[in-house]
Amino acid sequence: MIPIKYNTRNLRVRWVTTTLTVVGTAMIVWSSCLIFSLVEGLQHSMSVSGDPLDLIVLRKGSTNEVNGGFAKDTADAILTLGGIARGEQGMPLAAEELVYIAVVERNDGTHTNAIIRGVSPASPALRPKFEIPEGQGRYFTPGRGECIVSHNVSKRFKGAKIGGVIRVGEKQAYRVVGLFTSNGSAAESEIWVDINDLTRDIGRVGNISCVQLRANSAEDRAQLQKTIENDVRFKLSALEEQDFFAKQTATSDFLKVAGTLIAVLLTIGAMFAAANTMYAAVGARTREIGTLRALGFSRFDILISFLGESILLCLIGGAIGLLATIPLNSLSFGMSNFNNFSESTVTLRAGPLVMAVAMSMTLAMGLFGGLFPALRAVRMDVIKALREL
Amino acid sequence: MKYLHYIYRNARRNPVRSVLTIASTAVTLFLMMILVSFFNINSEVAEGFEKYNRLIIMNSEGFAGMVPISRVREIAAKPGIVAVTPFSWYGGKYGEEEMPFAQFGVDPTTIFSIYDELTVPPDQLKAFINDKAGCVIGRKLAEDRGWKIGDPLPLKGQIYSFDLNLTIRAIYDGPPDRDLRMCMFNWEYLDEGLKKGVSSAESGNAGIIVLKAADGDRLVSLSREIDDEYRNTDKPTRTQTEEAFTKMFGEMMRDLQWLITAIGMAVVFSLVVVAGNAMAMALRERTTEVAILKAIGFNRSLILNLVLAEAVLVAGLGGLIGSFGCKFLCDVVDISKYSAGTLPFFYVSWRTATLGLLVSLLIGLLSGSIPAMAAARRSVIQGLRKVV
Repeated sequence: MIPIKYNTRNLRVRWVTTTLTVVGTAMIVWSSCLIFSLVEGLQHSMSVSGDPLDLIVLRKGSTNEVNGGFAKDTADAILTLGGIARGEQGMPLAAEELVYIAVVERNDGTHTNAIIRGVSPASPALRPKFEIPEGQGRYFTPGRGECIVSHNVSKRFKGAKIGGVIRVGEKQAYRVVGLFTSNGSAAESEIWVDINDLTRDIGRVGNISCVQLRANSAEDRAQLQKTIENDVRFKLSALEEQDFFAKQTATSDFLKVAGTLIAVLLTIGAMFAAANTMYAAVGARTREIGTLRALGFSRFDILISFLGESILLCLIGGAIGLLATIPLNSLSFGMSNFNNFSESTVTLRAGPLVMAVAMSMTLAMGLFGGLFPALRAVRMDVIKALREL
Repeated sequence: MKYLHYIYRNARRNPVRSVLTIASTAVTLFLMMILVSFFNINSEVAEGFEKYNRLIIMNSEGFAGMVPISRVREIAAKPGIVAVTPFSWYGGKYGEEEMPFAQFGVDPTTIFSIYDELTVPPDQLKAFINDKAGCVIGRKLAEDRGWKIGDPLPLKGQIYSFDLNLTIRAIYDGPPDRDLRMCMFNWEYLDEGLKKGVSSAESGNAGIIVLKAADGDRLVSLSREIDDEYRNTDKPTRTQTEEAFTKMFGEMMRDLQWLITAIGMAVVFSLVVVAGNAMAMALRERTTEVAILKAIGFNRSLILNLVLAEAVLVAGLGGLIGSFGCKFLCDVVDISKYSAGTLPFFYVSWRTATLGLLVSLLIGLLSGSIPAMAAARRSVIQGLRKVV
């Protein structure tokens, strides 16, 4: 085997070419990682949003909180069912909620559709790690036209700072009194208002979008699900929250397709670039290769050595590209949600998926980019190579 | 001009290297064309809407808000209006497919005079008007699924608690930059069903209202007039031209657009680096030769230009293949068919393809500049002394 030092030193001697190739690959890996960290952020927010004991009750046939809804009386009856977990002070962990999509102005004056959620007292307890951190204001008081927004939303919408006023459509406005966090879950894209305030303001009194509830145990959950779906009083659909969120994939599927297209095409482009560098490396070292062969290294050794060099070259680029995505982590993005045309806030996240993408891109580039140049090196005739100037 | 042959021969000297550079530029620009088109189509189509004199009236709070159906009649009574229709998003399931294609409840008698760029055979239109449970679908939708006139088309309500049992009565066609995968049905069929059903509160909603004015100059005053009229009702409206309405959808994707732009810049930069690298490698091999050229009297600026021209030639060739190849591919193959309804149509415009070519020329210029300057600057003695 030819020692790896031969390759590292070679890369160092030809440092201009090496640097240029590394920069090129790094940029390409970085671009693809960027889009996949959006996919991963989206998937993360969906996966932390669902609790295994939670149920979400929607109108029969509906798979989306915004589509339709049902009467508040029916929802009230659900809250009295047995098997629902209790929170502090014995409050049942079940909340009637109204989801409303409305036009809101962004900081830069453009408009978008935001989710305004009318919530009940139990709603915060049903979200993962819901809290309003110290110094970030307080929870709203019902009946006073107040709202709380997630810290992500507060950076994006006009007036969404504490003490500011968010205008919803033309008639409603809510004063922001607190900024909440919820472990990156779907709630972090929303503006929260008291449900009674919201139903009254938009003229939908007596109507709700969904009931969120937590069961005591898995058996209770199954029992509740059966009652809500089959009992003549309800005839609603009760979805396990985890399934519900797992199905909200339209946007991330779209991004995944787009990301794959980008990654594949860019990898092919980068493969050609890597091949170029390696062809030059092989060409400039013809005599060296001849010498190595004359010394007794086998064709296979040469192949491995040049492939290794190509992979090493791309790995450096890939690593830099991947590292360059880290500063962008926790950057939040407004993404159009294809399920309800509203804007959800997604936090970029470079995790296992992004690493896998970067890794496979680099390996593909190095392997396929280095293959043909390495084969050329292998096929060289020893005598001819030694005679080369 | 007489140097063209020299430049061309130089580019061909190391064919593997040139082909690889061309290929990597072509593949990357191909990708850029797709990304740029994805965002440009929306605004290009929006600009094309201007001449159709259409206004879109929605609830000022957004799509989820209601626009009462009575307003269709009220607005139609205004002077200078050709026709008005409700345009109500149904969003139903076909079998188990969620949101398989766009479905709208419309007024069959006016819809094709408003969207007069869409064509439908007169006898089919008559059949659509006469059958309350009839519907009209786009040509591409019919082709994708092999549907014919007379086929049943059942849709399960997701937003509305009323299922539609439609029959295809007509197939419309239109220019390639229109959505030819919609399904439009009689709005009244849906509303009557809702009135009879448990949730009669859902009835009477026009969704949005689309109108066509006789005269484009009237649009601004008309939209102000309509919004003023409903400002103090419980359902105020927001009236926009079709152009502004369409652009609003583009605005929703703004952050993604930002991301794609960042990616595009990174890619252009990496192409400059990659192509520059190839050019530098080529010139390193030719150091002696360049020195000889200088020795026999070629001046610096000529050398500089020769090298730059070669770089531009290689990158431009890649750009030509990538951007125009992408355009022709998209013209021949209907990519939107494979987008699962995300894109109603997809094309790369001449404008976008030309932009791609220009970008590639710029890449060539930038990538060639440093190697070219180095070659021009190196002294004859130094160049001749160097052993490659």
